[in-house]
Amino acid sequence: MNWIRIIQKTGKYITLVVISFLSLIPFYILITIGLSKNVGKLKIDFSFLPDFHFVNFILAWTKSGLGISLVNSFVITSGALVILVIFSSSAGYSIARFASPFNRTILNIFLLCMMIPGIINTVALYTLMIKIGGINTRWAMILVLSANSLPFSVFLYTNFIRSIPRDVEESAIIDGCTWFSAFWRVTFHFLKPVTAAVAILQGLGIWNNYAQAVFFLQRKDVRTIPLAISMFFQQYGANWSLMAGAAIIGLAPAVLIFLFFQKFFIKGIISGAVKG
Amino acid sequence: MKQKKLRNNLHKVMAVPAFILFFIFFIYPLFQSIGLSLTNWNGFSKATFIGIRNFITFFSDSRALNDIKVTVLFALGSAPLLNIFGLVYALLLDKEFKGKSLVRVIVYLPAVISPLIMGYLWYFILQPQRGVLFTVLSHAGWVISGNWLGKSGPALVVLILVNVWQFVGMTMIIYLAGLQTISPEMYEASDMEGAGYWTTLRYVTLPLLLPSIKINVITNIIGSLSVFEIIIALTDGGPGYATESLSIYILRMVHGSFTGYSTAVALILFFIILIPVFISLKVMKRMEYEA
Repeated sequence: MNWIRIIQKTGKYITLVVISFLSLIPFYILITIGLSKNVGKLKIDFSFLPDFHFVNFILAWTKSGLGISLVNSFVITSGALVILVIFSSSAGYSIARFASPFNRTILNIFLLCMMIPGIINTVALYTLMIKIGGINTRWAMILVLSANSLPFSVFLYTNFIRSIPRDVEESAIIDGCTWFSAFWRVTFHFLKPVTAAVAILQGLGIWNNYAQAVFFLQRKDVRTIPLAISMFFQQYGANWSLMAGAAIIGLAPAVLIFLFFQKFFIKGIISGAVKG
Repeated sequence: MKQKKLRNNLHKVMAVPAFILFFIFFIYPLFQSIGLSLTNWNGFSKATFIGIRNFITFFSDSRALNDIKVTVLFALGSAPLLNIFGLVYALLLDKEFKGKSLVRVIVYLPAVISPLIMGYLWYFILQPQRGVLFTVLSHAGWVISGNWLGKSGPALVVLILVNVWQFVGMTMIIYLAGLQTISPEMYEASDMEGAGYWTTLRYVTLPLLLPSIKINVITNIIGSLSVFEIIIALTDGGPGYATESLSIYILRMVHGSFTGYSTAVALILFFIILIPVFISLKVMKRMEYEA
């Protein structure tokens, strides 16, 4: 019967709407609180329309000092990603193409360390950071966070490079390249999908990092977004509209960047993550 | 001549820079942690070697034992739910239909936000007497205490559900990626044999999804057992220490200058993570042979 299909189809679409609704409703509540006129109260008349009281955002912005934290988060995330992409792509190339006991050992160490959460190192890392003068500096945070993200990135690059044919480099070798320069001139350009996946997946992890930042970035002028938000919340815990305004400012960059790059991201994950 | 030889061999050592960086900021501190865990160091004065006394202290501290319980219960709830919902979502969103990529993006969206901020967001909704959920329910005429976060049992359930809500998209994406690698001929062949939906799922889809299942099971075990941001934002480990996870305990011990002790706890957490990871890797390896 035809209408069985129709029922199936509507059922499916209802499920999808419910799923989307479930994921979106907390954001809607956050925005409504952020735009609310009366501090800390959601207007309950079941119309659930926001007040569009944008002053909250301006207040939250000026009171929280989120501006400098945005800059810090941006500098740390982009710095760490540049190091991460260069180091892990070249490591992935060497491991995927030139099998040797040396390269195999390095890959195994990375795979093993993927299972170790970064929090375990906190204290020892702290003493190291004091020794190298890295506390409250952005450069040391860049090194720590890129190092922490290396295992998974190397894993993704190695898998991906194994799946592209060797001829890519071989033709460059004939033209007089060394294997080393062939990678940067040729192979690297084929890695865009997996680079997108690494940049978004690890970039978000670095952007959102709290476990390390809370120890190594204590001064106000080096604080990142998550730190600034949690400080702000401890200070203005009662003023919901202000808190919601700050939270929206804090999460907007990640959301926007994700929405902008989501196409590459999903493609990249598909091509990099689940092979072999 | 020598320089040329170097240039021609450079490709063999291209993993070295990554490894050096990783060694300095991960492996070296890791080994140092093992040493520190055997001392009574407080972060300032000289450390004295005290053998395994930190470990003995840990296992005779009722708060620490409770934290193990909380951490394990959280993972037992969170990791399976993430995998089940992630898989169901992926199966739903794998088929071709209008708006498919939109729904995928929406489901993934919560996962891009810091768990800390996400925790605060849920606090608006769940706070007793004042939260959005309480207000809505009481307006609808439901008389409830609304004290979801004030009792250990319900608070833990709420934490698990919020965590699943936030990261289901992450698990889903990996399953979607796995589903893409299954060629349509496999389904056609199964269809020709007259297999129904469930039989196909059990004997075709799931075995071929094993690489994705592996990644998801492992990352969810690690993630759930080292949870802390969402708890800090929602209950701060409370009431009392009822929802304190081991990671939070470690952070608090570091702040309380129990530095040597905190590294000992970190190593214990490492083993708590390692055991289920190795067991599930073994189990999945066996499944691979059988498939």
